[in-house]
Amino acid sequence: MTSAPEPAEMDIVTPGRSGWRNLSFVWLVPILALIVSLGVAWKTYSERGGLIEITFTTAAGVTPGETTIRFREVVIGTVETVGFTDDLTQVVVHARIDQEILPFLDAEAQFWVVTPQVTTRGISGLSTVLSGVYIEAAWDATSTGALTRFTGLETPPLVQAGRAGKRITLRTTPGVGVSEGGPVLYRGLEVGRLEKPRLAEDDKTVVVDAFIEAPHDERLNSASRFWDTSGFSVSFGASGFALNVDSISSLIAGGVAFDNIYEGGNSVEAGYVYDIFYDEAEARASVFAPTLGTAITVSVAFTESISGLTAGAPVQLGGLNVGEVTAIAARIVETADGPEVRLIANLGLDPQKLGLGAEAGADEVFNFLDRQVAEGLRARLGTSGLFSSSLIVELVNLPDQPKLAFNRNEEPFPTVPAVTSDLPDFTSTVEGVLERINRLPVEDTLNQAIRTMASVETLLSNQDLLAMPGEATGLISDARSLMADEDIQALPGELRGAVADLRSVVSELREQGTIDALSASIKKLDDTLANVSTASEDFPKLMQDLRDLAAKANSLEAEQLLASATKVLNSVDGLIGTEEAKKLPPALTGALDEVRLMLSELRDGGVVENVNATMESARKAAGAVETATADLPSVIDRLDSVLARADGLVAAYGARSDFNSETLSMLREVRAAAKMVGQLARTIERNPNSLIMGR
Amino acid sequence: MENARRTGLILTAQRAGLIGCSGCGRVHDRPVSHCLRCARPLHARKPNSLQNVWAWLVAGLLAYIPANLYPMLITQNFGKEYQSTIIGGVIELMGHGSYAVALIVFFASVVIPIGKFLAIAYLAISIQSAVVIRGHGRQHLYEVVEFVGRWSMIDVFVVAILAALVQFDFAATINPGIAAVSFALSVAFTMLSAQSFDPKMIWDAYEADDT
Repeated sequence: MTSAPEPAEMDIVTPGRSGWRNLSFVWLVPILALIVSLGVAWKTYSERGGLIEITFTTAAGVTPGETTIRFREVVIGTVETVGFTDDLTQVVVHARIDQEILPFLDAEAQFWVVTPQVTTRGISGLSTVLSGVYIEAAWDATSTGALTRFTGLETPPLVQAGRAGKRITLRTTPGVGVSEGGPVLYRGLEVGRLEKPRLAEDDKTVVVDAFIEAPHDERLNSASRFWDTSGFSVSFGASGFALNVDSISSLIAGGVAFDNIYEGGNSVEAGYVYDIFYDEAEARASVFAPTLGTAITVSVAFTESISGLTAGAPVQLGGLNVGEVTAIAARIVETADGPEVRLIANLGLDPQKLGLGAEAGADEVFNFLDRQVAEGLRARLGTSGLFSSSLIVELVNLPDQPKLAFNRNEEPFPTVPAVTSDLPDFTSTVEGVLERINRLPVEDTLNQAIRTMASVETLLSNQDLLAMPGEATGLISDARSLMADEDIQALPGELRGAVADLRSVVSELREQGTIDALSASIKKLDDTLANVSTASEDFPKLMQDLRDLAAKANSLEAEQLLASATKVLNSVDGLIGTEEAKKLPPALTGALDEVRLMLSELRDGGVVENVNATMESARKAAGAVETATADLPSVIDRLDSVLARADGLVAAYGARSDFNSETLSMLREVRAAAKMVGQLARTIERNPNSLIMGR
Repeated sequence: MENARRTGLILTAQRAGLIGCSGCGRVHDRPVSHCLRCARPLHARKPNSLQNVWAWLVAGLLAYIPANLYPMLITQNFGKEYQSTIIGGVIELMGHGSYAVALIVFFASVVIPIGKFLAIAYLAISIQSAVVIRGHGRQHLYEVVEFVGRWSMIDVFVVAILAALVQFDFAATINPGIAAVSFALSVAFTMLSAQSFDPKMIWDAYEADDT
């Protein structure tokens, strides 16, 4: 480089301006950027929101930086940190809440973790399955001083703060199935929810708050009555079978329903206390009824046994329930005769039911009792029903009682004087009735029935019977129907009658034959004597006697007897020939045949022959007498013997001429025969086989 | 001394009395204030170059602060919302074991922009005051800055593409955060800053060193 090119002359425009003037407009850009950045920073800072602290027992699924806080499903903040309290018993969640929301977070604000839930009321929080849990917040529209520390709820509140409605308190006895979340129904519509039941301060009743949503809370008034609808009721009556279930939800969760029992109740304030009745009927019946809290307690000291009286037993005045027995206890009372055990029953009396008005307090009740006791009001045990053993307490007016005063200042409770009840009498009356019922031969009848059943059963289960051919079975069923037949049952009687007839016939026949023979021989004798009378002077007297005897014998109506015997025989024949008799099993038929045989024997055989023989012998005797007339002494000797015989006969006849005795003996015979038939019948009953198989 | 290694005096166009038009490139050796061909005003050096460099650089830096503090990506996945800043995203990627991707993101979003700020600042300072490296080094540095600058936009492109493609409502949604805009602005400002820099001044300063 030896020579540098000559620099050209430049037309130089010098700025000639001050440093500030020379400032480039590009500087606007960083200034703008700064402004924007600062603006963004300020915006971020101002919108950062306030930090609040929520305490939970558990915080399942709450993640710092992710879990949001929502109000009416709109995100209002985010959880920043999750930590513990100092003693590690609680989880502390710090969350940043939008600035504009913060003023509303007052003491009313509620926070709870929303997780998927399946309950009887439905399924909720399902969206959190995928998105994760969030913290829901609720508060009312008014702000009463912002707070930054809150205690989270374990479960979503049944009634979120800020909902329109009315919160009331329901009172119930333990055992009524109310549970948290149970529905409150009004004519079948769900209008509210039960909150968590808790024990009342007196530990006797269960108290549960209920929230009735607007506009249904306007239906609540002093005429409203609540009743339990949990579970279902089954009724069975003339109209059929009815199953009532109010709602499945209340069936599971246990709910209550209410209705206005009468028109024109006064409106009530929030927090009004209602009672829950056992069922709707009871609720409706309670219009004039009392609430549990208004009962006035008095006590009664009974001297007699109160076995059967229990707490809860009604107290009646003139048949109306005016209260109930609240407690029973024994107490030693000092009397003039030394200590004595008194059985104390506390009665809870309801002023309203006594007619004293709903507002009546203890004083009004005591005033009332004052007057009444002076007029003879006494407590007495009574029974609640005819066959019930449980007792009630009756308040009765007995004017003839000695004057007693009602001491309202007695401790622990004023005592209403008691009188001995007339219960034992009543009991004995009932006992008498029962005794009489007891005496009814129910047992015998039953035993008879059982025996009959047993014998039928034996008959039916008999192996022989089962082995028998069908014909025999048919025969047996025939026999059974025959046995059951009234005619056959009457058969022994008929047989008995027939046999009795037979007996009488037989005996009469026997007599008849004798008489015939006698009369014949006497006739002969008469003839003979007529011959003989000439032979002896002393004879006529004897002859006269004999003639008398013959006349006597003739007076017996032999013809009639024979006719009746024939008739009897015919009837027996007819009986044997009847269809029923034919149906009788062979053995019975055989028996009847035997009877028939006997009868025919009687008819055609022995007796007649005997009679004939007697007559023959008498004839022979007459012949002998006839021949003896020739030889009188021997005739008289023979006649003597004949007369002696006749005398004995007549004497015997005379002595027993009373037909009654004859009848008696005949009856005895008949009875024996009847016994035989009876035995036969029993044998048949005991062992029906014998009918078929023979003995 | 660096300057000891200098081979000789460098003749610049300015020293030779020549001015190239910045518009059409025509060289003028006569003293004219405007280009004879395209009538643009002629400048031997960009006017207010350093001032503009600093202005853009400051703007870029200012934009870079929110770009790192605010979320770059807002991801909604099944109702859950994730916000990730640049550094947060890098750490998360490393947590997932994607070291390579994390490295790329880290370089593109952190190392390069910061390096650019430093490089431009250094060039601007070195021109105005004492020389630290020799002219060729400065020239190389400037070229690297110019080349690398555009690649910083990788991050912004990723965010833009993701935000455009991943819009599946409930299942997955990606939206750009404030940081994406800030970062894009920051990159743009630094690029403008680099562009405002007149590399000819490197050699002016080189000569100044000599004299």
